[in-house]
Amino acid sequence: MLAFEMERPRSMASAVEMLVSHGDKAMPKAGGTDVIVWMRKHAVRPEVLVDLSEIPELGGISFYPHRGIKIGATATVAAVGAHEDARRYYGALADACVSHSDPLIRNKATVVGNVCAAVPSGDLIPAFAAYEAVMHVFGPEGERDIAFADFITGPRKTSLRQGEIVVSATLPMPHGRSAACYLKQGRRNALDLAQVGVACVAMLGEEGVRFRLACGAVAPRPVRAFEAEDMLAGQVNPDEALLERAAKAAVTAVNPITDVRASREYRLSMVEELTKRAVSICAERLSGGDAR
Amino acid sequence: MKRDVNFILNGRPVTLSVEPRTTLLRALREYGVTSVKRGCEEGECGTCTLVIDDLAQKSCMVLALEVEGRSVLTVEGLVAPNGDLHPLQQAFIEEGAIQCGFCTPGMIMTAYAFLRKNPDPTESEVREALAGNLCRCTGYIPIFRAVIKAAKTMRELGAHPGAAR
Repeated sequence: MLAFEMERPRSMASAVEMLVSHGDKAMPKAGGTDVIVWMRKHAVRPEVLVDLSEIPELGGISFYPHRGIKIGATATVAAVGAHEDARRYYGALADACVSHSDPLIRNKATVVGNVCAAVPSGDLIPAFAAYEAVMHVFGPEGERDIAFADFITGPRKTSLRQGEIVVSATLPMPHGRSAACYLKQGRRNALDLAQVGVACVAMLGEEGVRFRLACGAVAPRPVRAFEAEDMLAGQVNPDEALLERAAKAAVTAVNPITDVRASREYRLSMVEELTKRAVSICAERLSGGDAR
Repeated sequence: MKRDVNFILNGRPVTLSVEPRTTLLRALREYGVTSVKRGCEEGECGTCTLVIDDLAQKSCMVLALEVEGRSVLTVEGLVAPNGDLHPLQQAFIEEGAIQCGFCTPGMIMTAYAFLRKNPDPTESEVREALAGNLCRCTGYIPIFRAVIKAAKTMRELGAHPGAAR
């Protein structure tokens, strides 16, 4: 690893001050499981690493039924995956946490860090898209919120401005009763990046059932399959033919590449298959009473 | 520029002088704690696993400066002051859970942190807990057996014997 200096601020204000004063020579770090690997490969070469892990207010996870679950920037994947309210009301989020790398890395890696790294295969990204998360940001010009749909702009690119850090993210509570899951296709269970990941949230509210579908690792940015969602709207028990059509519609929303982990063609057919499975699992849970 | 980091290593306070880029893995090996093995150094293989404040961590993914004020436990710290092996170490020997031995310290530390949280695990829980530690010799089965056996011994002993552990 190339030499760098490390700062360990105790407050958000001093973290932002450090990031601003060092400009693009500085990089923030939460868990570090991504940034350390990248620094070892010299893919990123920060001169100053600003470690956020000592800022007390960034570590929390809180849940308020009317507002949703708020995940602090340094809350680990293990902590969120084990959080009772996350497991009860945010099935896709909890599934994504458990699918992430392995139990040891989950003790260090953070949920918000995984999202901010903005790698297309990031396991937490489809869940953030499906729950329509809001990113709470703090920077030199104060606080602002960024809708998740506008947050990731490309591989390893976000709409954060110079000196800004994500303080926390809120995943609003799904409307009505809901069921959700995240299905990940990898070559092995532990320690593998997703070839394809599909998150599905089914919500049974006053205006009938609505599905939200988000796909990861199949485009430069996170993908919502809106056309498929519209086809499924109102269908509590979608039949085989509808599932088939909706899954095909989801495929038209994605644009995967061929890389070391999978070919474009394989990814396309997995999007179709996982969409069908995810929707059936959620529909079954909704009608089977296993919803929250 | 080198900076001091103060932490508890296997029950004893230590101060190491490290560069910010030095990982905990490299700092400990330099200091003489060679049970943490340098395998992949990318967080994949788990041979460098140790326990920081009750959580198993891959020490190649931790910068040494990050353990300021924390408690770090390696497999050296599991041995009792009189030289008695920890039930986990003993079970690994008895069950033949070691061949080349390179993964063993990491396996044992992962299992140690896991058994503190889950003292009476099923085999599938053990398998899941050890998913981040690779072994290329044993085929894992004797390792799972050893962890379950150690869990039983530890339950019978009631508490964790020894000071640092």
